[in-house]
Amino acid sequence: MKRALLWTVAGLVVLVYAFPFVYLVLTSLKPPVDAIAVPPTVLPQRFSLDNYRTALAREGVADSFLNSVSTAAITTVLSLALAVPAAWGITRYRTRAGRVLLAGSLLVRMTPAVAIGVPLMGIMGGLRLSDTPTGLALAQTTIALPLAIWLLASFFESVPREIEEAALVDGCSRPAALWRVILPVTSGGLAVTGIFAFLASWNEFLFALLLTSLRAQTTPLAIANLQTQFGLDWGPMTALATLYSLPAVVLTLLLQRRIVAGLSLGAVKG
Amino acid sequence: MDRRSFLGLTAGAGVTLLAGSACGAGGGDTGSSGDATTLNLLCEGGGKVELQPVVDAYKKATGISVNLVELPYDGLFNRLTSELSSGRPSFDICAVDAVWLPLFATKLAGIDQLFTDAVKADLFPALVREANVDGKFIGMPVWTNAEVLLYRKDLFEDPAERSAFQDKYGYPLAPPKDWQQFTDVAKFFTRPDRKLYGTDVKGAVETEWLAHVLQAGSPGVVLDDAGKVIVDNPGHLAALTFYADLANKHKVNPAGPQQTDWNAAQNLFNQGSTAMTRFWAHAYRQIPKDAAVAGKVGVAPMIGGTAGVAGIPGPWYLSLPQGGAKQTEAVKFIQACYDDNALSLTSTLGLAARKSAYQQYTSQAGYEAFGPLLTTLDAPATRTRPATPHWQRIVDDALIPTLQKSLLPGANYAALLKDARAKIEGIIT
Repeated sequence: MKRALLWTVAGLVVLVYAFPFVYLVLTSLKPPVDAIAVPPTVLPQRFSLDNYRTALAREGVADSFLNSVSTAAITTVLSLALAVPAAWGITRYRTRAGRVLLAGSLLVRMTPAVAIGVPLMGIMGGLRLSDTPTGLALAQTTIALPLAIWLLASFFESVPREIEEAALVDGCSRPAALWRVILPVTSGGLAVTGIFAFLASWNEFLFALLLTSLRAQTTPLAIANLQTQFGLDWGPMTALATLYSLPAVVLTLLLQRRIVAGLSLGAVKG
Repeated sequence: MDRRSFLGLTAGAGVTLLAGSACGAGGGDTGSSGDATTLNLLCEGGGKVELQPVVDAYKKATGISVNLVELPYDGLFNRLTSELSSGRPSFDICAVDAVWLPLFATKLAGIDQLFTDAVKADLFPALVREANVDGKFIGMPVWTNAEVLLYRKDLFEDPAERSAFQDKYGYPLAPPKDWQQFTDVAKFFTRPDRKLYGTDVKGAVETEWLAHVLQAGSPGVVLDDAGKVIVDNPGHLAALTFYADLANKHKVNPAGPQQTDWNAAQNLFNQGSTAMTRFWAHAYRQIPKDAAVAGKVGVAPMIGGTAGVAGIPGPWYLSLPQGGAKQTEAVKFIQACYDDNALSLTSTLGLAARKSAYQQYTSQAGYEAFGPLLTTLDAPATRTRPATPHWQRIVDDALIPTLQKSLLPGANYAALLKDARAKIEGIIT
């Protein structure tokens, strides 16, 4: 009885959270005219892939997918490459500077993105990185990196020092101990951090708006471009949003076990 | 292959892929600041559709490429605000919505040399006035729009409906020309049991009410030419009474007028739920082929009040940022946009800014909306919105809330306008 109640509550919670996404997918599968019906209906009366055809035929949409992939990949790699040594140094050496860096990274996280957007435009222009995935990824790393450092610091904290010391006794240098012993032990945490960094870039809109023009526009911008002063292309917009959310959903499902393991790894240490 | 080799190979492939895509997958080249053969033009989606035919012709004629950088409407405003205030814009030309012109005026370069007498004569007077801010022309109108009346021909031409209307109101059923006729026809076609309503009432957008304000003879909308707040003058009150009474008193609209915006109204009409809609002229060519009303829609000029027909034009301008590196080339392109303005009429939106461009198409099939559009734009009472940098705030904080409150049962229209006046005075002072 208790179990059934638990499942019912869980089902309701999932329904509430999943409804917007389910509605998005169902709308994308309606014929264009039904997609904009007033009042709207939840379930399609007829199914059609016209919205997908229209969305994918739009100029720049395929390119925007490639740009999103490359930008998110660069952001993820860059965030992990910088966050791993930073978080490891902070947790292992426990210096005052380390604590300040940790608190400072949180402050950066709290800064509204729009406040650094305009200066970043000037910096990227000066570096000739405007309108490139690399420039955009550098900007997005400013969002992803603080979170990555905090997450990884928490994961590294949970690894007993004795493991690293044993590696040092066996002849490893400190970097080798990190690479060969600590990182494999915290691979779940790395996966979680990587996913958060990837999603931070994948869903980012403001920097993409300010820092890209023709070559590096990402899909969130391509989706928003479907709303013009002259109307909202609702059907193709839902189709594109559905397609764009698929990689994130698939990635999360594939790495689900590691994410859960990683989250619990970070939770056991006080 | 062992695990280490596999990982190395994968990493190598990944790095190669990233390096290959690091310049961006999108086509074109945004060009360096000294490259005179490429211009960058910032616009929103509708502008891209409108300008593409001109850009293609310009490339053919001069060899100069114009990159149309498409951004969402709100995003374009944010980007223009950021880049113009930074003083280092990444673009050479920008498409500017009419309501943004006063806000960006100090950051835009003058283009007085393009406004010859011949040019001014071929543009609608309201647009020429609006393009001039503080004695300087800062934008060339490239396309404009206004609300016209779209109506269901199948209903208006039905002999049974015509006869019933004649019997009930004592005059023939025809596209309405004034407020009284509009109210009569809307009431006549309102049949909730058949899910048919006379018209829509848009409470989430302000432009339509403001068009009625001009029809009522107000010397301006919200502000007069001296910048004084006139939102509670008799014209505004008469227009609000007519507008809100359609919902409150006559109940000729579908449910939810407070939330009804352009998209909702367009969809309601296209699916056959309303017999008439006052809507931007471009919508006529955008009726989907599989819509319930496809092939059954007629167009008439916007309705009139005591001051006759009037509309609020919705133009876009091409402007140059001050201190741009390619101003000479950019001015030449803007001149080409004026010269080849008629090419934009072949786009899916099909809008232009020159009278002569519209006149070329008025008699052609598929362009039936142009005649009524010309009539509305050329009407003496037609005026643009006031040139104030505070306009968007006035709309968001005063006009829309006033309109939405007016659509609640028992609303006191005069008191609402008094409140709006106080709010607007607070915004502009």
